[in-house]
Amino acid sequence: MTATDLADVEFVVHSLASTAVEKEKEFGDLDAVVGDGDLGYSLARGFEKVLADWDSLKRDDVATFLQQIALAISSRIGGTSGPLWGTAFLRASAAAKTVDTIDGTTVVTMLRAATDGIKARGNADLGDKTLLDALIPATDELERQLAAGASPEECRAAFAAKTRECADGTSVLEAKRGRASYSGERSIGSPDAGAVAVAIIVERIVADWP
Amino acid sequence: MKKFVNDPQQFVPEMLEGLALANPDTLKYVPEYNLIMRADGPDQNKVSIVQGSGSGHEPAHVMIVGKGMLDAACPGDVFAAPPFDYVYETTKLMASPKGVLLLVNNYTGDKMVFEMAQEMSSADGIEVKTLFINDDVSVEDSTYTIGRRGVAGNFFVIKAVAAAAERGADLDEVIRIGEKVNSVTRTMGVALTACTPPAKGSPLFELGADEIEMGVGIHGEPGRRRAKMMPANEIVEEILSPVVKDLPFSDGDRVALMINGLGGTPISELYLLYGQAHKRLAEQGITVGRSYVGEYCTSLDMAGASITLVKLDEEIESLLMDPAEIPIRTF
Repeated sequence: MTATDLADVEFVVHSLASTAVEKEKEFGDLDAVVGDGDLGYSLARGFEKVLADWDSLKRDDVATFLQQIALAISSRIGGTSGPLWGTAFLRASAAAKTVDTIDGTTVVTMLRAATDGIKARGNADLGDKTLLDALIPATDELERQLAAGASPEECRAAFAAKTRECADGTSVLEAKRGRASYSGERSIGSPDAGAVAVAIIVERIVADWP
Repeated sequence: MKKFVNDPQQFVPEMLEGLALANPDTLKYVPEYNLIMRADGPDQNKVSIVQGSGSGHEPAHVMIVGKGMLDAACPGDVFAAPPFDYVYETTKLMASPKGVLLLVNNYTGDKMVFEMAQEMSSADGIEVKTLFINDDVSVEDSTYTIGRRGVAGNFFVIKAVAAAAERGADLDEVIRIGEKVNSVTRTMGVALTACTPPAKGSPLFELGADEIEMGVGIHGEPGRRRAKMMPANEIVEEILSPVVKDLPFSDGDRVALMINGLGGTPISELYLLYGQAHKRLAEQGITVGRSYVGEYCTSLDMAGASITLVKLDEEIESLLMDPAEIPIRTF
């Protein structure tokens, strides 16, 4: 584990948290189309807590740092978003525990651990019209780019593009999980709010990469 | 709405404060986490038994904390799962070298929060397991569940695992007993009126003056069908039969029979229901070995009742007979 590894992870989390807080209204409006409109509020309250605690978070290593994030988020987010996002960070933390350095392959492992955690906790899978429909194909794309020998910059760009493409692509799906599933077929035609929020967050992280 | 309420947001904390003041020798209230725990807990020589749920079901579960029952109860707001950090902090506070068992009725929100708390406290090195209770036969998936709901039958799971823990059983053995009792416990309820959450101030659902909801959930969720009001014996028939057929309970079985009031029904009516249920079981060759009549798991002020049957064997009956010292049984 190097100082650079932790600095990169801190950048990603800080950018994610800032976006979630700044885009509270936009995310809420996305969710109001077929959900109950609380996505923006829930994420903003959770990540607001992350930013408030930022300076006092333990930074022994990446795993410890991410575990603290998991705790901060799930303490404040009500409904199902808290446990889902908290689990994602908790599982990513566990995946980071076993490695010495955070390279591209480790990022794929951490993303897989996070999406597997969301699947298990939310009893959801690909095709259920959730953020998994953006995040899982984007992780596959990242893995392909790494295997093809792409540069870190190319990998980031491809990850962001795939996240956006698949988030927009959730429009054709019918919601099977979460509050939006109560809308059934009426959810077809609008993208999943969680998936679009993830795309916006990823695009911001990649655009601002130091 | 006419209710004893100050600020609806403070309804749960004020109730918990009153509960602790009324039981200073046995209960401790930790306001930061809505936690009610045994004043002498956690006992480092036994598995800690913790139940989480929404509030509004009292005496479940904050009023059944005490020696021989729960070591702690961790409630959320009315009909809402407790926040994750309440459960996580509760688990840490109740940690014992023999482990912690988190008991949770099967509702989606509670399940997520408690599974995550288990994962997080396990990462901290606490031995903790979770057991989900799902005794309600009326519906499969429902408003707040994937799978069956957990309702009044969870009293039997709590009593059995708590007795086993007091006797010194380890965590795996306690879970074996909990799963066994859950697997032979079946419940179905009926609502005569809707309930009114203090923060909402109006009935949670519409039920006509002459209508009843067969198979209602303890949060007023829809059941099997809406019927016209009918004589009590016919109601007993309609909710007892699905319970008996589900396991099924049959000729020669020995059972525990619970008539649970949902909060707004006089005890006199509960005993009337008990009499009919007891006789109908006897006609089918089913012997009632233990009887429970009163309010256990309520739905605020809802008028109505549920019937629970537990198939007894020597092990379960012996555990149910162990002593328990809890507020609702003290006089």
